[in-house]
Amino acid sequence: MLDAFLQGLLLVLQWKALAFMLFGVALGFWVGLLPGLGGATTLALMLPFVYTMQPAEAFAFLLGMHSVVTTTGDITSILFGVPGEATTAAIILDGHAMAKKGQAGRALGAALTASLIGALIGAAALALAIPVVRPLVLTFGSPELFMLAIVGLAFIASLSAQGARGMVRGFLAGGLGLMLAMIGQDPQAGVARYTGDSLYLSQGLDLVPVLVGLFAIPEIIELVVRGTSIAGGLPSQRVSSGALEGVKDAFRHIGLTLRCSLIGTFIGIMPGLGGSVAQWLAYGHASQSAKTPAEREGFGKGDVRGVLGPGAACNSKEGGALIPTIAFGVPGSTAMAILLGAFFLLGLVPGPDMLSQHLALTFSMVWTIVIANVVTVAVCFLLLNRLAALTTVRVSLLVPVVLVLVFVGSYTANSQYADIVVTLVFGVVGWLMVRAGWARAPLVLGLVLGKIAENYLYISVDRYAAAWLGRPVVVVLLVCAVAVIAYPAIQGWRAKRAARA
Amino acid sequence: MKNIFFLVLLCVAPLAAAQPYAGKTVTIIVGYKPGGGYDATARLIAQHLPKYLPGKPTVIVQNMPGANSIIAVNHLYNIAKPDGLTLGTFNRNMPIAQLTGVKGVKFDLTKFAWVGSAASETTVLAIRTDLPYKTFEELRKAPKPVVIGATGPGANTYDFPLLLKELLGANLKIVTGYSSSADIMLAVERGEVDGRAGSWSSLLPFIERKLVRPVVRARLRESGAERLPSDESFAPNPRAKAILALRSAPEAVARPYVMPPRTPESLLRLMREAFASTLKDPAVMAQAAKAKLELNYLPGDEALQVLREVLSQPKEMVDDFGKYVKFGE
Amino acid sequence: MHNRASLILSSAVALFAAWGLVSAMSWPLKAKLFPLVVGIPLLCLAIAEIIYSLRDKSTEPPRDIPADVERHRSLVAAGWILAFFAAIVLLGFDIAVAVFVFLYLVIQGKERWIFSAIFAAATWALFYGLFDRLLHLPFPAGWLLELLGFG
Repeated sequence: MLDAFLQGLLLVLQWKALAFMLFGVALGFWVGLLPGLGGATTLALMLPFVYTMQPAEAFAFLLGMHSVVTTTGDITSILFGVPGEATTAAIILDGHAMAKKGQAGRALGAALTASLIGALIGAAALALAIPVVRPLVLTFGSPELFMLAIVGLAFIASLSAQGARGMVRGFLAGGLGLMLAMIGQDPQAGVARYTGDSLYLSQGLDLVPVLVGLFAIPEIIELVVRGTSIAGGLPSQRVSSGALEGVKDAFRHIGLTLRCSLIGTFIGIMPGLGGSVAQWLAYGHASQSAKTPAEREGFGKGDVRGVLGPGAACNSKEGGALIPTIAFGVPGSTAMAILLGAFFLLGLVPGPDMLSQHLALTFSMVWTIVIANVVTVAVCFLLLNRLAALTTVRVSLLVPVVLVLVFVGSYTANSQYADIVVTLVFGVVGWLMVRAGWARAPLVLGLVLGKIAENYLYISVDRYAAAWLGRPVVVVLLVCAVAVIAYPAIQGWRAKRAARA
Repeated sequence: MKNIFFLVLLCVAPLAAAQPYAGKTVTIIVGYKPGGGYDATARLIAQHLPKYLPGKPTVIVQNMPGANSIIAVNHLYNIAKPDGLTLGTFNRNMPIAQLTGVKGVKFDLTKFAWVGSAASETTVLAIRTDLPYKTFEELRKAPKPVVIGATGPGANTYDFPLLLKELLGANLKIVTGYSSSADIMLAVERGEVDGRAGSWSSLLPFIERKLVRPVVRARLRESGAERLPSDESFAPNPRAKAILALRSAPEAVARPYVMPPRTPESLLRLMREAFASTLKDPAVMAQAAKAKLELNYLPGDEALQVLREVLSQPKEMVDDFGKYVKFGE
Repeated sequence: MHNRASLILSSAVALFAAWGLVSAMSWPLKAKLFPLVVGIPLLCLAIAEIIYSLRDKSTEPPRDIPADVERHRSLVAAGWILAFFAAIVLLGFDIAVAVFVFLYLVIQGKERWIFSAIFAAATWALFYGLFDRLLHLPFPAGWLLELLGFG
């Protein structure tokens, strides 16, 4: 195995593969940065070019492009409050809040460092997991995946505001998300649920227009209302100086950063959970690291830990998501599905062969992720000052450009005007939620996990009747779910006791 | 001066007529998101089609997923202009949608300008090799139900085993809700389910790996699968046979390509020739083989014929069929 | 504002949940199980929040911008967003992009005409160059143009 590991490195360092990777990185840099471009769509557009390449070159190109998209997507999310990618929405909550306080530099520094650490951990997981990946993935059957979805939904408790009323609102948002997830044709009886007469809704709500509406539209409205630049009128000098502080933050909270990287990798490995879940769970976990209720309140207002968590998880999940794709041919997200297409294009069959015969190629992918991320983070640090200075640009110039990108992004996913309508509708919902003090993260969580939870529950019951409840991993996960819900409640109760004492 | 101008115009005009596609962009609308089989086929065709169209236009792919391709077909039928610059490909089960009167269908498939089909694929049921059942007969007599994983009603992963169970008496238990056929294969490896149905080409890698064994196929005799018994050969009565045949019928036109209705005859002919040449191009065939994309050309007229047969089924037949098979993926 | 917005939202959620439950009644068991399991608690929570919002008499801390100015500006912002959408549908993406950016800069941003025109042209060029030329992502022509025969 060790020689395959080194061989993989050599494959990537050949000048052609390296050139393609750097080209991919340059491309991915802009794809992530611009909210109008989706990583998945661009991957699909690049596929035809891959026909004539050697496998190592092709994957260096595609992965080089894909693995940096979340890093630069974080930048857009932090600076503008517009999700650069569907997978970088969670970082808006605290990252953009920091930018508004004039701490854009610090937020960027933290996000970039966390992204790099996450990517390295994800790549390491991919490398180390190779001998154990098949038994690992095979242990997680539908019952376990259902429980995992339940654990994810339990994080709604962590993502809600403090107090009983905060919990009510959090679960209201989560429940709303779950109901919205039911829209579409159900796979059990084939009934069209909540679609009204609309053809558009018959396959359910698309995540990207909803996210853009929930997060970007309220931000844009607020920008117009405040009238100042994003950084509230602060000069660019102050705004960009915090980058080093951000890097130090990542190491100050290294335990959190590493844990969130592991969460991201793990979620990435689980097939069928989708690409957007990891960031929210990491954010939820980060908010749990607050020791007092007062600290908890600070989340969503600019706590750097809310940047570190999602930043690390998003990148680490990429390495994790490659595992089921390579080892089983089961993609965890649209981007992975397209990458699978590349496999077939090049005549490779994902499966045991990739872990034995083509092991060097698999390791070359690991190295690609590592090198691509290192390069990107380095470039971003060099550009950091300029990037952070964007938050001092006056709002009248920023708003129209951001709006153009937002509308184009909503439209080009499915070539449907209806997507823009969805963005506008959820823009209203998001704006109301901000005014009303409702957390938006639970809604997203419900929307993303709803279908998964329902489908896996039915499969589990159909297949195993009630026996699946006794499976060891299921029980462990159930305990985790209870713990996740109980933790904030216990924390609050302890704080009240301490205050009374 | 004016005379020279006219002279030049006279010479250029026929040239322009002979190069109707010069400087233009042709769009292939795909009723699916990027990454699937329909999309991959379309992109492969888009890459090589310009060679065979006079004027060598740019050919691009536009994804218009939604409502299992109904949105794309509606667009092709009602909105796209019949100027030879738009092609479309969509869910092969679209005739079933039209036949069973699915809400939202605003088209008549027979009125499209049919370019052809890029593939014909048959559906096969495959079960884990470590199970003791080797033939379909044994499956019928199996003492314990064999668990088949499916994605949902309307997909061939669900419909095919359902008909095998309801009409032919195979002892199957269908567990549905998996997010994709790849997820089902993972479940097979886990032992959670015992097999799945799907297109022959998508199951082939797993058959070759000896993870699963095919036991029965649908009506179409795709190369490689001919030796399998067909579902209709087990049909106990003509009604069952007819229902099975109706389900399989659209599979002959597995990758349909059409142009909007009322496309001029001359442009349709050009496109048909270019389409046929593209699919017979050795470079294309090589790339398709590498990518494990099954390609074989069916001329537009024959595709239209298949569709007409499907759509002319009598009402009792349609109602009977609709009891089992709904339109979906 | 705080409580009023919460009241609006929770009422909307309550209505949605109620409608969801009523629609689900006629479905087969497998299709209606989850909607019922989620919908009933959702309805209860929504009603709880409605009651909370009505009974909560606390006022919001004063913000740096007076409430009526804020409301006015929010409406203006919403207006611009909707206008952009209308422009896209009526005129098609490329024209709408150029026109919207120009008008926004001139009217809302109060920038100078020449600067606005250049900035709008640059934005249009970025949009056209990237999305149309480079990526070949197609955009439909606007309805108005189609009506007039320019589509």
